Amino acid sequence: MTIRRKARYVDLHLCNSCGDCANVCPVTAPDEYQMGLSSRKAVYIPFPQAVPCSYILDMDTCLGNNPIACGKCADVCEKQAIDFDDADELVTREVGAIIVAIGLDVYDPTEMDEYGYTRFDDVITSMEFERLICAGGPTMGHFVRPSDQQRPKRIGFIQCVGSRNPKIGRPYCSNICCMNTIKDTLLLADHYPDTENFVFYQDIRAFGKGFEDMFQRSKEAGTRYIRGLPGDIEEDPETGALIVTVENTTSGRLERHELDMVVLSVGVVPAKDRDKIAGLLTLSKTSDGFFMETHPKLKPVDAPTRGVYFAGFCESPKDIKDSVCQAGAASSRAGALLNAGEIKIEAITSVIDPEACSMCGLCASVCPYGAITWHKKEVATVIEAACAGCGACGATCTFGAITMRHFTDDQLLGQVRAILAEQPEEKVFVFACNWCSYAGGDMAGISRIRYPSTNRVVRTMCSARVSEEMVLEAFRCGAPVVLVSGCHYADCHYIDANRQTVKRVQKLWDKLEKAGVRPERLQLEWISAAEGQKFAKVMQQMEDKRKLVTPDEIAHAREALKPKKKKARPAKKEPAAVTEATA
Amino acid sequence: MATTTMAPFRCMMCGHEYQEKVVQGEDVERSCPKCRSNSIRHLKGTKK
Amino acid sequence: MATLDKDSELRIGVFVCDCGLNIAGAVDCGAVCEYAETLDDVVCVVRNKYTCADPGQNEIKHAVREHRLNRVVVASCTPRQHEPTFRQCVLEAGLNPYLMEMANLREHCSWVHPGDWDGATAKAKDLVASAVGRARFLEEQVEMAVPVTRRALVIGGGVAGIEAALELAEQGHQVTLVEKQASIGGIMAQLDKTYPTMDCSI
Repeated sequence: MTIRRKARYVDLHLCNSCGDCANVCPVTAPDEYQMGLSSRKAVYIPFPQAVPCSYILDMDTCLGNNPIACGKCADVCEKQAIDFDDADELVTREVGAIIVAIGLDVYDPTEMDEYGYTRFDDVITSMEFERLICAGGPTMGHFVRPSDQQRPKRIGFIQCVGSRNPKIGRPYCSNICCMNTIKDTLLLADHYPDTENFVFYQDIRAFGKGFEDMFQRSKEAGTRYIRGLPGDIEEDPETGALIVTVENTTSGRLERHELDMVVLSVGVVPAKDRDKIAGLLTLSKTSDGFFMETHPKLKPVDAPTRGVYFAGFCESPKDIKDSVCQAGAASSRAGALLNAGEIKIEAITSVIDPEACSMCGLCASVCPYGAITWHKKEVATVIEAACAGCGACGATCTFGAITMRHFTDDQLLGQVRAILAEQPEEKVFVFACNWCSYAGGDMAGISRIRYPSTNRVVRTMCSARVSEEMVLEAFRCGAPVVLVSGCHYADCHYIDANRQTVKRVQKLWDKLEKAGVRPERLQLEWISAAEGQKFAKVMQQMEDKRKLVTPDEIAHAREALKPKKKKARPAKKEPAAVTEATA
Repeated sequence: MATTTMAPFRCMMCGHEYQEKVVQGEDVERSCPKCRSNSIRHLKGTKK
Repeated sequence: MATLDKDSELRIGVFVCDCGLNIAGAVDCGAVCEYAETLDDVVCVVRNKYTCADPGQNEIKHAVREHRLNRVVVASCTPRQHEPTFRQCVLEAGLNPYLMEMANLREHCSWVHPGDWDGATAKAKDLVASAVGRARFLEEQVEMAVPVTRRALVIGGGVAGIEAALELAEQGHQVTLVEKQASIGGIMAQLDKTYPTMDCSI
């Protein structure tokens, strides 16, 4: 892992956080820590309790160390900690385990214009509320509203802003906002007993230890909980009051509330950097964008990539306690791996027979891991430690030079033949990848979703392992229909190996058509580990397709797809083979 | 500059045929606009 | 560990699991056993109530020795759940773990075809035949061991990252904590009080 250590322009070890530099700094910029509600200097400390507790120079706003321009901070620093020549530094660390704890981003409510976050000063987010009520905040904890610096007396909280809202593509519950609002109402009741608090909600989810008690205390403290999310917010042009219109779904009445301030209880979204991290570590995401664990119940902190573990929000929305619990679990899992001192690689890797290798290099070109080394006119070799065992190379090699250990051609063809030995016309033949489609079948089982019992599944690690030969052999054995199924593009467990599956199925469709076999008898579907419903639906669709295949068609395919007499292997056919596959 | 062209596709599951834009070098998962199936055949050059 | 002579005859044992009524409730396990006995190279078929439980695993170990089995097929649940269990089991019986194959009669069969007794039973037979067909070609494999560098990287210095890093350090490991901001603390550091204890976030 290479890490970029960003330049701070202030020496961490010399800086004693006296603050003289900030006093003389002529630049002001919005203070990110205070949600932009106050300002900071170009040289600043993020917050008083920051770790490392040292000032930092923001080069984007600094005027620079030019005697004409500025340089005042460097002049005044007794410790001479300021170094304008500081630069980013690349640090390389070899690691055996990685814990991903990249957290979350807070939902930006600008798009939900009905709440007027950008139009009304006194509509704020729950994050801004935190800074306004905090003794370390811009107002020293005196809770005032932004428009006139007066203390608001009637405060409304709107729940589920950016959560449980499929319309804006955020169907999931953000987990923390209900309790956060309950906490806020208790803080207000404690600091200012005369404020009137209103909470507009769809459901209050107070399920954790001690949570219900807090909810009850909030109600006892006078907070009014109104079931219903406001349609919109308007501002009274005369008084400046915020008018909230809401359908109270408990009473069924339309209510109008005049409020001094509205707090949008904003949800959370996956961290912006998640795609970058996912790409680096070959992680996949669930439909809501959070990282997907190996098993939702039994391996909740393990990433599908071995040696990588999740902690905190990046896996799913959770509060502090749950984050701490998961961090403990992740470090325990990582610690066990580090203590073991070695990792066993499942013996499913690729082996190249140097005798049979035609030196074409196709295998190296399809390997998602760069685990195959090949140079022109040289036999390809596999770096076993880098091979993940997808089998894309094995299915691509037309010279029989590659053996996928534990998923050999013989083993898989043995399954094909055994399944189709008797009454093949009654069977739907399915190839499913271990990580998604086969797991989707498991999910259908766990969820007890019924589908026709005609399907027969053969498991491969990746759909890219399914060679032309395997599909053709199934048809030769009398399969009426064949399905090749794998992970969705975004979830491919082997980075992008399943793109090879697409190429192969396209080629097979052409081949079948040429041989007079209806190409519709071969189907391709992406079914994720979570899509038990889709698995069942596809099996039904395949069964419907199977019924349309006539005995004559099956008999024709058996004959038409018979392998042509094996020609002696042409020794110098590599270039042709390359163009054929990439075309 | 990546070139964008329209290309014909056929859903092998429901038979729906449609045109969709293809960007050179793209990496996109295809699904049928009608039935959501992923059994999408690129019809380019297969009509011979 | 007994090594497999490539020329020696195949001796496959099939272990059919009832999984209580999870499988036996929708599949005729007796008929599946009878069918398995007719398959080439199968020399022993055993039916169990719970193959994954100790008595079931002991049956496998016993049969491997008694019948000199060199391939084992367990017809029970998904390999995604119990493959490690049965690999360990055959290892303890003296076989290479890669000589074990599973047929998924539960998630892929009994649980999804209740009420379709004949269809589910026919499918279960095929799944066993498929596993036996594959087992014939199974070979011993040796897993490569790769040394693990004893240092951890924690990406993100929020509450979860800090906690994970401290915990790992306490276990005695070297830890590198990476945070993109100038200070650790994450979004939690911006909160005033935190529930349910109503104390400071920092």
